[in-house]
Amino acid sequence: MTPVSQLINGLEAKDAMEIVTHDEGKPTVLIVDDDPDIRESLQCLLRTVSLDSRVFVSPSKFTKSDLPSGPTCMVLDVRLPGRSGLDFQRELTAANVNVPIIFITGHADVPMAVQAMKAGAIEFLIKPFRDQDLLDAIQLGLVNDRARCEREGELTRLRERFGKLTSREREVLAHVVNGRLNKQIANDIGISEMTVKIHRGQVVRKMKASSVSQLTRMADRLRDANIFGSPKATDLF
Amino acid sequence: MINSVSSCVGVQSLRGESVQSADNGSATTLNAPVPAALELDCTLADDNDQNTEEGIASSTELTNGRYRTMRARASPIAALGQMSACIVHEINQPVTALLTNTEAALRFLDRPNPDLEESQHALIRVLQLGNRIAEIVRRTHALLQRVSPQKDDFEINQAIREIISLSQEDQIKNDVSVHTRLAQGLPLVRADQIQVQQVILNLITNAVEAMSGLYEGTRELCITTGQTSNGDVLVTVQDSGPGMDPQSSDHLFDAFYSTKPRGLGIGLSICRAIIEAHGGRLWASLSEPHGAIFQFTLPQICSDRMPRALQRRSKITEEECAASESAELRSPRRCHVLQRTSSASDQCTQCVRDRASSSSV
Repeated sequence: MTPVSQLINGLEAKDAMEIVTHDEGKPTVLIVDDDPDIRESLQCLLRTVSLDSRVFVSPSKFTKSDLPSGPTCMVLDVRLPGRSGLDFQRELTAANVNVPIIFITGHADVPMAVQAMKAGAIEFLIKPFRDQDLLDAIQLGLVNDRARCEREGELTRLRERFGKLTSREREVLAHVVNGRLNKQIANDIGISEMTVKIHRGQVVRKMKASSVSQLTRMADRLRDANIFGSPKATDLF
Repeated sequence: MINSVSSCVGVQSLRGESVQSADNGSATTLNAPVPAALELDCTLADDNDQNTEEGIASSTELTNGRYRTMRARASPIAALGQMSACIVHEINQPVTALLTNTEAALRFLDRPNPDLEESQHALIRVLQLGNRIAEIVRRTHALLQRVSPQKDDFEINQAIREIISLSQEDQIKNDVSVHTRLAQGLPLVRADQIQVQQVILNLITNAVEAMSGLYEGTRELCITTGQTSNGDVLVTVQDSGPGMDPQSSDHLFDAFYSTKPRGLGIGLSICRAIIEAHGGRLWASLSEPHGAIFQFTLPQICSDRMPRALQRRSKITEEECAASESAELRSPRRCHVLQRTSSASDQCTQCVRDRASSSSV
């Protein structure tokens, strides 16, 4: 690339700017289509908004390779040799691979479109599609995927921190998020209030929480992910 | 696929109409009638059997024997419909790529400092795609334009030999050795000979291509003919190439197989449509240890129909011979085929004159 092109790409990158996050990696669009002309034209279009892409001639080629880091979304043809795009969508969902999917197809088939959307596709476009429609859908997909990445990243961090708590500290955490006062906790567990305060301090420090309400939210997230099985208030009595 | 004789009738009568309304000599395309034929198919399919049988009796001269045979076949209307869907898809793909490339080029040019390199590359691709689309349209038009009011009775072995010699250069260039095992005494086939030969040519070309280039295995092509248990003529084209993915063997027929615009490739979907329109089947399988096998059947002319066929052909007039095809397509050899089924006194007078005047027979 010439320096001038680099400058241009820098200017145009403002379109992609809201998608690029600094800690989650660059976004990549995954193109799965058996037609080389379509693949090439899509990659070219994506370059106009400075989006990287990777192409796969078939779903099996995709499953054999690693997912790139960073937000991704997939542009997938419904009509593929060997496996239909809709089947592939089902397989991905079943395998818990939650890549946002944008379908492109030459058939204007209402039942197919409904099925794809119900199965969670971002968009279902008929070929030939307007370039802006595709780019808008890709934008939406990447934003969704970035949000998912962030949530998962956050959960990983929480899990790590939680892992550093001792079992007593976890016990104290459970009582704290249930709204129990230190004195009450001391009573429930059978330790001194001072000890409770020490444990509580450790918990807040290790979890990097800035307030009880934040600690509560963290605990909720961990509980939703089945990492933290803290009993509810009602279960205590 | 709708198993329905009524739809076969639809094809016959519509094809007849389209030819009658043509200017002298030139055949009209089947493109216009196809939607009408599809409607006709739906209407007749809704009728009860009574009406269907009446329809057959009045539109054609099918004997009861032929009716029974045809009933077992797939519908040519459905085949045409599927073919038309394939054609639409095959044109839609490059059209989509063309438009996307154009939009990208415009975006690159719309910048404060336009990216001329990117937009130029995109426009070169646009040009290639446009030419490809034009080629697909041309090929399809050339194929569908061939509508003969009467089918030919011909020998499949001879048709195959002609095609092998036609594609010899391709075979030699790619170092492919061709073997044939053509059964003796096969019944004649009643079909559009040019179309059937196009199918054979396409299968041969595909096979040669599969074994060409960097392919390191043996390069052998074997063509055999024979008969199935119910008397249909069976043609087998087998290569020693890499074969195809068993998962996708049926998808081969879903689209124009050759994406490169060779002048002779017509696509497996059209091959299947042609064969099925003649009452046959075309399918693919894998061969051991490697390679692909493509086979198709064509129904033999029913033996109890032979006397009727002879009766119909006995009075070939000069006008009929000329009307059945344009002058360029007519060849003396084809009338020689007819001569085998009719007596010497029933020869076409024009062809007798042709033979007398030409040195090569």
